[in-house]
Amino acid sequence: MSINRLTQFHEDPAVIAWWQARLGTVLTWCTPGRRRAALAIAAVLAGVIRPLRDMARADDLPVPSDWPGLASLVLALFAILWLVYQAAVHFRSLPAIVRRHPQISIHLLYWGSLAVLWLSAPTGGAWRELLFGLAIIFPYLIWRCGYLLLSGQYGRAASTRFVDQIIPLWPAYGGTNTPYGKGLDYLSKCEAKNEEELARSQLAGIKLFVLGLIWNAAMTLMERTFYGPETVIPRLNQLVVQGAQAPFLASWASVYCELVWQVLRHAADGHMIIGTLRLFGFNVFRNTYKPLLSESILEFWNRYYYYFKELMANFFFLPTFTQLGSRLRNWPRLRLLAAVFAAAFVGNMYYHLLNLETLVAQGDVFAAVYTLRSRFFYCFLLAIGIYISMRRQQGRGGKPLAAGHLARIGRIFGVWTFFALIFIWNVKSGAPFLARVEFFLGLFGFA
Amino acid sequence: MSDERQQQLQHLIEFLRTVQKPNKPIEQIGPDENLVTSGLIDSLALVEIVVYLENTYGIDFGAHGFEPERLSSMSSILEFIEQART
Repeated sequence: MSINRLTQFHEDPAVIAWWQARLGTVLTWCTPGRRRAALAIAAVLAGVIRPLRDMARADDLPVPSDWPGLASLVLALFAILWLVYQAAVHFRSLPAIVRRHPQISIHLLYWGSLAVLWLSAPTGGAWRELLFGLAIIFPYLIWRCGYLLLSGQYGRAASTRFVDQIIPLWPAYGGTNTPYGKGLDYLSKCEAKNEEELARSQLAGIKLFVLGLIWNAAMTLMERTFYGPETVIPRLNQLVVQGAQAPFLASWASVYCELVWQVLRHAADGHMIIGTLRLFGFNVFRNTYKPLLSESILEFWNRYYYYFKELMANFFFLPTFTQLGSRLRNWPRLRLLAAVFAAAFVGNMYYHLLNLETLVAQGDVFAAVYTLRSRFFYCFLLAIGIYISMRRQQGRGGKPLAAGHLARIGRIFGVWTFFALIFIWNVKSGAPFLARVEFFLGLFGFA
Repeated sequence: MSDERQQQLQHLIEFLRTVQKPNKPIEQIGPDENLVTSGLIDSLALVEIVVYLENTYGIDFGAHGFEPERLSSMSSILEFIEQART
């Protein structure tokens, strides 16, 4: 059996037939309706468990802590999601300004409720605690609600049921603030319609589980042999603190190891989530697909963290690009630059600002922005890199890249180096911005 | 298929040839096949399609809104052109 056939076993008709024969009754029973029902029940449970868990973690803050308060919070969250669903279903009845800018509207509502929270007296009692709890949890839901509103905007939400919409809103299959598998529209498009498609999707899911386990093992191996606090190559977050004093060779090794580490971590986590979705018949794209083989910056960004890239593209890049069509039609490069910066810089920073939900909920927005100061530079460099990569790709006009293994390795090495170096300002560390700059300069002997 | 639609399809295919990935003949892609998932184009090319539709058919995406799904295949692009022009 060839390697290719082995790695693509989920597409092999013989394997699919074998899987169908083994699980025939189960596959027949698992109709799309039953699979969705199972995920919806799990989503409701997730919608109860996650807020309780988050409130327990934030017990040093004025959030609901007793059972009536926690129950109110859970119900309020479901009520908000139902209202967003209603807005999507009756999208054409919404006020014109909301119809034109649904995403901005929901974010303004969130910031408006934050303003009410900040202005309310600390002695506000149960209502203030409830608002505080909502402010902490809503960043997890806000992009998911965004996809639901997009669905409403394009007229596809009207025929959907809330019980189905709840699946990606409170995803029991996991995820971060980034919605893996996007919204119900995308899930439905990728949903298995018959037993053969379900078998193929499940096999593809199993493949991802296996890959996830392999990448986790690879991370453990890295940690135990050469990359980590007690080994030859220190972690990048430890080295950047040392600034220019960091050892030269270990620093270079560490920046590349960090890139590989981050890719493995994203791949391992994402494969488990997408693998679960595929087991339930939603054969969606992987979150990470061989980014270390990318031959351009644009390609890497597309393959490294697909659902985050999609979030930035759907909510920042494409709206900016299309809205600027009438104003910047004669300046296509400026139009593209603006759209790239809207996504890779503005959107990226805003997303990470919302991730600091406890600081934001407490009104420490400036503290939150200050926390992200190194990330500003990372996002700036990322945006520049993506723009240049796009322009180069446009310039080629569909012509193939230079052939040959050496040329290909050179391109891959260039992509590795770019992302490894900009990760200096992305890696989580207590190192101040200037220490990171000194560390970067130290890599080139400018200490 | 009407003559006008046939002409639009030919024009679209000619345009897609200029933005498609190398080593993926457009002749292998069916009119209803997804252009991105079939590997013919990448997501950047979606932007090129927007510019093509703006310049060739005068479509204002700022007014119509932008749904990537509607530009996912050659058929859906032709349908979008028809709807946007009426």
